[in-house]
Amino acid sequence: MARLAAILRALALAYRRDWTALQSLAGNNFFLATVFFMGKAGGFLYLILGLVVLFPMSTDPMRKIPASRLALWPLERRERRLLRLVSPWVNPITWVIAGLAIWTVGRTITAGLWAFIAGVFLAGFLLSDLPFPSAPSMWRPIPAFPGRLNQLIRKNVREILSTLDFYCALILSLSAIGFRIAGVDMPGEAFMAMALLVVLALASYAQCLFGLDGEGGLSRYRLLPLRGWQLLAAKDAAFLLVAIALTLPLAPLPGAGAACVALAAGHAPAVEKPRTQTRWRFTMGVLIWNGVLQIVFMAMAASTIWTHPWALAPCVAAWLGSLWWYGREMERRMQV
Amino acid sequence: MISCRNLTRRFGDFTAVQALTLEVPAGAICAFLGPNGAGKSTTVKMLTGLLAPTSGEAEVCGLNVAAHPFEIKKVIGVLPEDLGLFDDLTVEEHLLLTGDIYGVDHRQTRARTDQLLHALSLDHGRHTFAASCSHGMRKKTAFAMALLPNPRVLFLDEPFEAIDPVTAKIIRELLVSVARHGVTVFLTSHILSMVERIASQIVMIRKGSMVWNSSVADLPQSLEDHYFDLVESPVVEELEWLGSPRS
Repeated sequence: MARLAAILRALALAYRRDWTALQSLAGNNFFLATVFFMGKAGGFLYLILGLVVLFPMSTDPMRKIPASRLALWPLERRERRLLRLVSPWVNPITWVIAGLAIWTVGRTITAGLWAFIAGVFLAGFLLSDLPFPSAPSMWRPIPAFPGRLNQLIRKNVREILSTLDFYCALILSLSAIGFRIAGVDMPGEAFMAMALLVVLALASYAQCLFGLDGEGGLSRYRLLPLRGWQLLAAKDAAFLLVAIALTLPLAPLPGAGAACVALAAGHAPAVEKPRTQTRWRFTMGVLIWNGVLQIVFMAMAASTIWTHPWALAPCVAAWLGSLWWYGREMERRMQV
Repeated sequence: MISCRNLTRRFGDFTAVQALTLEVPAGAICAFLGPNGAGKSTTVKMLTGLLAPTSGEAEVCGLNVAAHPFEIKKVIGVLPEDLGLFDDLTVEEHLLLTGDIYGVDHRQTRARTDQLLHALSLDHGRHTFAASCSHGMRKKTAFAMALLPNPRVLFLDEPFEAIDPVTAKIIRELLVSVARHGVTVFLTSHILSMVERIASQIVMIRKGSMVWNSSVADLPQSLEDHYFDLVESPVVEELEWLGSPRS
């Protein structure tokens, strides 16, 4: 039993550390915007956020133990069975689901909701045991881009696709496209607002452009004979490609403008206060000042471009100016 | 080809490298030896422009490292301590990236990539993402990246560690071959038997200070014995509890 308790303690510790999925929300622009600006619509957006977070949090705790290590441990068959039975309770989500089950007894409407949440949890739990490809290999077929930065841009697109920010933006974009296809009568401004929301969901990543490169990647940047602005441009190109692709069916110009502004405001923390990020989590940016300013400037840019498309030009100019300035800053910081 | 004078690096009160002065001629294979924490990697970082020295200066290919860090990057190949790989690129994509960045013609890049992957037995893993590669594959990928642009100087931080004996032999032969063509090789390693076979110059460092610098021919005894005498002699401690009945 002492062996079992030791393993469960280690699993609980690992799970506690894994709660960055929820902590990351606190530094995410999208979370901030939903709290302060969305009012009633916040409920729907929270549901999207909740589902995007719930899925990765539902993984089987036993996956945290390397299979080879588990096989080597001197555990008896009885202990292994017990571990299998008890380990799901290390995951706090299991307790939440169980609590909800008790709460929903006798409530027919909430029972349906409970079944839905439990279904998402179960899917996450069971799917985590299947041999899925790792994050990068899921996105192998990224197309090639022209120029010498081709491979760097492909890598950066793969990085964006391994954050929850992208999936949140994708769900928002698909929802708006669904409305458009269904022919629901919506004012044009609504699509502009949705385009802004989509870019907002991605915007925290613009503050942490180098967060998923790891130590090895960062040292490679320093070895490559590339200027700082070129390294930043490869990051920005990937961000703009994703943002423009998601906002194209909604309001392309305000979307592009907001993306340029998000990058212009995001370069400073990305270069000066780099933050390591975790895959399959929301990006955790620098909320105070950087995040707030980013949101305000993006909202101003998107709404102005909606009525005056020429306003895209100053947004692009701001982005290019920031690229040049922080490219120099990056070069300065690369030699320490 | 590589020269440094009084190269020093301090981290706060700790001196990682103390007044290092040495010359490595073109076409030499210089082995830079020392125990963990002696200052080998710090020296490599200073010579490749990754770390600014606290004092002293270094030149690579006639270029001052501090004044021309960008130009130096174009003429050197580096196998860094942490390998410098991106999780989101495959083995092959890393080599294609190197060719693109160093301005190697696309067809040449393809040809060199195929040759290097074949030579280093990486053919089977060319489409494997770095995140999923074994340590040996990662090291071979980083080594291939260092060679692909045909550099004038190669800096290799522990190239023989954590790779299979066949690959180690292939790397050894490749290094001897490139040195014969005038490429200067500066490597760090703990595998003294391997170093003794290929190095033309031996430099030993202990606690940041150089304690030996000569050609291999000038070593007074075997490299291993000389290393143990000068740098660090092994102390074998008896662990009485090993093999005894469990308490």
